[in-house]
Amino acid sequence: MMKSVITYTLDSCRKCLKCLKFCPTGAITLDNGRVFISDEKCINCGKCVEACHNQGIQAKGSTLIDIKNYDYTVCIVPSSLIGHCKTRQEVEEMFYAIKELGFDEVVDMTDIEGQIHDEVRKYSLYSNNACNISSFCPVVNKLIQVKYPMLLQNIIPINYPSEVAAKRIRKIHKDKENLGIFNCCECESKLSLAKYPYGNTSYEVDHALSIVDIFPLIRANMGKGRLKLSLCKEGLQSCNPYMMLVDENDLVADGFEKIINVLEHAEFGLLKDFKLLELFPCFNGCIGGRLLWGSSYLIKSNFFALIDGDEKRISNISFDELYNDKITKEVKDDRTIQEKLQFFAKVNAKLDKLPGYDCTACGLPSCRVMAEEIVNGNKTLSDCKILVRKEV
Amino acid sequence: MLSEKYEVARDDYANAGRVSSQVKQYLSSLGVSSDVLRRIAVACYEAEINMIIHAWGGAINLNVTDDGVIQLIFKDVGPGITDLEKALTPGWSTASEEARSFGFGAGMGLVNIKRVSDEFDIVSSEEGTTLTIGFKVS
Repeated sequence: MMKSVITYTLDSCRKCLKCLKFCPTGAITLDNGRVFISDEKCINCGKCVEACHNQGIQAKGSTLIDIKNYDYTVCIVPSSLIGHCKTRQEVEEMFYAIKELGFDEVVDMTDIEGQIHDEVRKYSLYSNNACNISSFCPVVNKLIQVKYPMLLQNIIPINYPSEVAAKRIRKIHKDKENLGIFNCCECESKLSLAKYPYGNTSYEVDHALSIVDIFPLIRANMGKGRLKLSLCKEGLQSCNPYMMLVDENDLVADGFEKIINVLEHAEFGLLKDFKLLELFPCFNGCIGGRLLWGSSYLIKSNFFALIDGDEKRISNISFDELYNDKITKEVKDDRTIQEKLQFFAKVNAKLDKLPGYDCTACGLPSCRVMAEEIVNGNKTLSDCKILVRKEV
Repeated sequence: MLSEKYEVARDDYANAGRVSSQVKQYLSSLGVSSDVLRRIAVACYEAEINMIIHAWGGAINLNVTDDGVIQLIFKDVGPGITDLEKALTPGWSTASEEARSFGFGAGMGLVNIKRVSDEFDIVSSEEGTTLTIGFKVS
């Protein structure tokens, strides 16, 4: 189970229902003037946050106050964040500025992201199956679980980069008691990776910080000092679909509509020529994460300048430590086919009476969901705003 | 028992796969498990494309029986298959250049359909071909 990190703030909501319409999985419902987000269906893609003009829906991460709860704290910085700096000096200043927020240590995970990208490609190359799907993005993993369960078995069982990085940090600091690991996140979905990330039974990252929240503090500390570090070229490249190393066996797609299209094609078995599908729900890949403030095009051009320096090799973590067989699971439906047929027939009978506009005015994402709710006894036909209107 | 009927038009490449999407959506709302749905999606798509590129369109019937069998009947109007045995041989194809340019016509269509389905029956004459495939759901 992955908890939704997207929350609803009552005050500024104008009940405009935009979030309902934009939610790709129908996770949002409006009942008695209150928005509800289903933990089961929410994939943390952030489409609703984007759609809401009133800041009624926000993604919340941890706060820096949590640092005080630990004796020793480490902050992980993903590759995409590094692209905000134009020069190596700026990167080192940014790392120093992050450390000044109160962390004992700040580490980049470019080497781990580089290795994971490399392992994913190797895995798919040696696999007998076509269409292996890379698993670094929790949105893609959960989208497949909710809407494309036929492809669950295609997800490569390699753990999330931040979890692998945190596991390594715990190994290095195994003598330290009360170690706290924080992850600086570039998007809503990465926020969900702290504590019980989707598909995992255990967790390594304790807190996820939203980069927009802490950015003003980082900026105030910029230029005060430098933290020497070296970056891994492959890691930086792996977070942009137009920079990463690919060949004719790989299909790389970025942007939510594009990945939906790829998944639909994969379900019909049309993509057998591809060994690996690398899917980025965000446009321009992870550097297009919604919590990053700059333009993803600029970040990409910064990457070109940054990878031209001293290079760190990709990490060499053993496959056992990268591997995670629990990452995917299908939601079980225990009903027999007869029960399903009966319910389906009843729902279809109600659906015939509903207008079929999927207008969401009733507060439910579609007429089918409304029909299901009517059969379940939670709603009646008179809850349909269109039908009531017609009677008048 | 549930029944749905869909139409497929001749040479309608623009809508290739539309019926398969609807069938998939329909069975997914019913709650058919993903391992079965996966096979149905592949077979239905192949068969639908066959109707478009080889035949002159036709109709697709979807039946779900009370004892849990999903049956798809693809009934087309068309030239028929002259040699069924050959058509069931991997790699054998009569697809036109036009069809091949769209990436169809690899000669694996019927072979794949037969491989993934639990029941497979095909009858063909000069008036058309009827393909019936079945899938068991528990």
